[in-house]
Amino acid sequence: MIDLTRTLAEPRRLGYIALVAAAAYLLVFPVVSDDAYYQNMIILSLVFAIGASGLNIIMGYAGYVSLGQGAFIGLGGYTIGVLATKIEGPSPWLWVPVAGVVTAIVALGLGLVSLRSSGAAFVIITVAFLFLTGVIATNWVGLTNGTSGLTLPLPPWSRDIMNWPFYYSLIALLALQLLLSWWIRRTKLGMGLMAIRGDETKAATIGINLPVNKIVGFVASSVFVGMAGAIYGYYLTFIDPRGMFGILLSVQIVLSVLVGGNGTLWGPVIGAFIVESLNEVANNNFGGGNVRLYLFGALLMAIVIWLPRGILPSVEQLLARRRSVGRAGLVGARIAEGATLSKLSVSTREQRPVEPERVLLRVTGLTKRFGGITAVDGCSFDVLDGSITGLIGPNGSGKTTVFNLIDNTITPDAGEIYFDGERIERLPSWSRAHLGLGRTFQITRLFGDMTVLENVVAPQRSFSWSQLGHIAVSGPEARDAEELLAFVGMRDFRDQPARALSYGQQKLVELAQILMLDPKLILLDEPAGGINPVLIERMAEMIRELNALGKTFLIVEHNMPFVLDLCPRVHVLTRGATMASGTPAQIQADPAVIDAYLGDDFDLQPEKAV
Amino acid sequence: MLALLQYLVLGLLVGGIYALAASGLTLVFGVMRIINIAHGAFLILGAFLAFTAWSKLGIDPMLAILLIAPISFSLGWVIYKTAIAPVRTAPMASTVLLTFGLALVVEATMGVIWGNNATSMTPSYGSESFSAGSFYVPKAQVYGGLVAVAVLAVLGLILTRTWLGRAIRAAANNPTGAELVGIRVGSVSAVVFGLGMAAACTGGAIVGVLYSFVPGTHYMWIARLLAIVVLGGLGSLNGAILGAVLFGLAETLTSAYVSTAWATAFPYLIVFAVLLLRPQGLLGVRRREDASAL
Repeated sequence: MIDLTRTLAEPRRLGYIALVAAAAYLLVFPVVSDDAYYQNMIILSLVFAIGASGLNIIMGYAGYVSLGQGAFIGLGGYTIGVLATKIEGPSPWLWVPVAGVVTAIVALGLGLVSLRSSGAAFVIITVAFLFLTGVIATNWVGLTNGTSGLTLPLPPWSRDIMNWPFYYSLIALLALQLLLSWWIRRTKLGMGLMAIRGDETKAATIGINLPVNKIVGFVASSVFVGMAGAIYGYYLTFIDPRGMFGILLSVQIVLSVLVGGNGTLWGPVIGAFIVESLNEVANNNFGGGNVRLYLFGALLMAIVIWLPRGILPSVEQLLARRRSVGRAGLVGARIAEGATLSKLSVSTREQRPVEPERVLLRVTGLTKRFGGITAVDGCSFDVLDGSITGLIGPNGSGKTTVFNLIDNTITPDAGEIYFDGERIERLPSWSRAHLGLGRTFQITRLFGDMTVLENVVAPQRSFSWSQLGHIAVSGPEARDAEELLAFVGMRDFRDQPARALSYGQQKLVELAQILMLDPKLILLDEPAGGINPVLIERMAEMIRELNALGKTFLIVEHNMPFVLDLCPRVHVLTRGATMASGTPAQIQADPAVIDAYLGDDFDLQPEKAV
Repeated sequence: MLALLQYLVLGLLVGGIYALAASGLTLVFGVMRIINIAHGAFLILGAFLAFTAWSKLGIDPMLAILLIAPISFSLGWVIYKTAIAPVRTAPMASTVLLTFGLALVVEATMGVIWGNNATSMTPSYGSESFSAGSFYVPKAQVYGGLVAVAVLAVLGLILTRTWLGRAIRAAANNPTGAELVGIRVGSVSAVVFGLGMAAACTGGAIVGVLYSFVPGTHYMWIARLLAIVVLGGLGSLNGAILGAVLFGLAETLTSAYVSTAWATAFPYLIVFAVLLLRPQGLLGVRRREDASAL
């Protein structure tokens, strides 16, 4: 009894034991049993497991639903079908990797068309793609033999081991697919995809090149699936449009991912075996047809409504809750004192030479209209290299909109933005981040489902293909991130999901996150808003410390003592335009500013201020 | 030349029917940000309902619309309250899967009730045509097109001339703001889903007179309707109407002058081309980017 509770307390270990047992069983099954029915069922389950595990990369990690995953199986099947019937001689096995390449190329094309825009377009295009492949397979009779289908040569090996080559090659392929999924989940690419699922606009501002990350993810989600489709086609030895491009093939793959657990490593595999078993029951005991439609349709609806996270995460959560009963979480813990930057070894510590007379950011004539409202109206100002510049103004004066225009979360109607000598108003957010622009949000926008550490390793400092494959969750990247977390005093929270943090804690993590970009200019949107006085003080300290290392700041803030104390130079914004610029003393003495914003009873006493 | 004119008239009439069928899809997306994959299944359901009214009660399919509209509106309202409402605020990735599941359930239900054999309706005017010399147009096409435009006009009046319509447009534009001024967005969404289903089913009743159908026909229809709303701009009603008319013309001309077999590939190619060249569609607007992303 005691042993049992201890095992339950270690759900991971229990999971691994179950996993090893299941894997061992699968490995020896064809040797110990020649039951063709179950061998067939396992082979189908393996095909769906590979399809689901692949789909999980784009749908689970990146949050982009594809209803056309079945088409990649069909594409693989037709590749081997067409090549094996047109080219006699070489073993059909030769065409399996070719099928992978064909599928990857098609996915690349599809991704280029659809993944430059948002999720709605992607779903629709995957549906269209699935139907289109079916139409092509039916109508291009010269290549595909139309609805009559293609018959492959029978396998040449002994009938005694009939299914073994298919069975074991699919197991090997599933292992490769899982390895790929596992590896991606640990890389910068994986972090990028998960950030995209969490908040696409924000992801772009931390340097994640959205189309490239999504397209690479989509290609990765298809390549082994095409190979599995080829093996599946060879196994069936008969390929026709109905069997290869049927909509239920795609539905079954999507269901496998959802049932098992979207975004988990093993969930799609478990789901594939469960759904295929249900499918067999529906076919054999209830005559398939409408019952199968009911099963898939109702299961899809039920999962979305009642078990959106799938079986595996739900079970894990249940076990974790049992385990943590009576124990306080770390979430309420005190934020640590925070290390000083000089003790850290990360790149941000390196002093950047500053040219104080140089303009780092110049905004001229910036204008943005929302319908009839002109939120930003010919706004112009400069931020000098190495400075801490304040941007103040009444509510609705356009401060946050100016930030949004500078980092391209919205596009300006007119005006120019120069950063570090380069004109940037036409560049996408990620390019601006790569140039050295970092930005925090008024209402923090961390990726809630990712841990604190994952949030901080997610930014992509520059773009290179090899960088996408760098391991992010351990090694140098993670060490840098941990040091930055130590700097903001949040290292103890590294494994907590970001959504569990308080607002103030999120502000600190968001600061660490953009420091990962090693930005030249940091835009802070109300760094002191909604946090306690001690933290406000610490925030000011950190800003000064970073500034001493050459980081330039532009700060939007309503806390006047904070901003006037911190910023030697302040711009005042009203009605979307700069009305005054100067030192805090000049601003406070300006009658127009007092009238428009500060109010005539404003009296700053810096010595009492934070 | 006369043949071309004839195809143009036919294309316009078909376009009117497509416009009605697509209106509900774009309306639901506009208000709820839900891509309703079940919309094609609703359309075929409308065809089967009309078939039952015609074969069992002897009501003309075009007149049966008066019955089908309220029935399907109520059905849509119930479906919204039971299946869609629980996930109304879920990301689009979830809702699209839900409506996909719904499409399969509706397909299976139609298969159980009406069977999977090809069904068609042959009212008395089914084989007659209006003709002038060698120029002729089938009566069913003319009636179908006109009825579709009439129903669409009623829908348009509801959206532009009533308090309900203003509430719907407010909810589509800014759900939070609409809540603040006292509009119950949940109730509005239920009504919109009902209207969307009614539009699909009445469109289906007309379609059922023109073409034969089985439950599985809905896949072809959802592909076609998605192509239309993508072409016009997701969420834009005027865009859907424009998209439908262009699509009807293009499809009619393609099958007349190119090939009927490849005309089935046409919708998908439109989707690809539009998303490649103008992702927001013809009349779609890029939404305020700092508001909730699409």
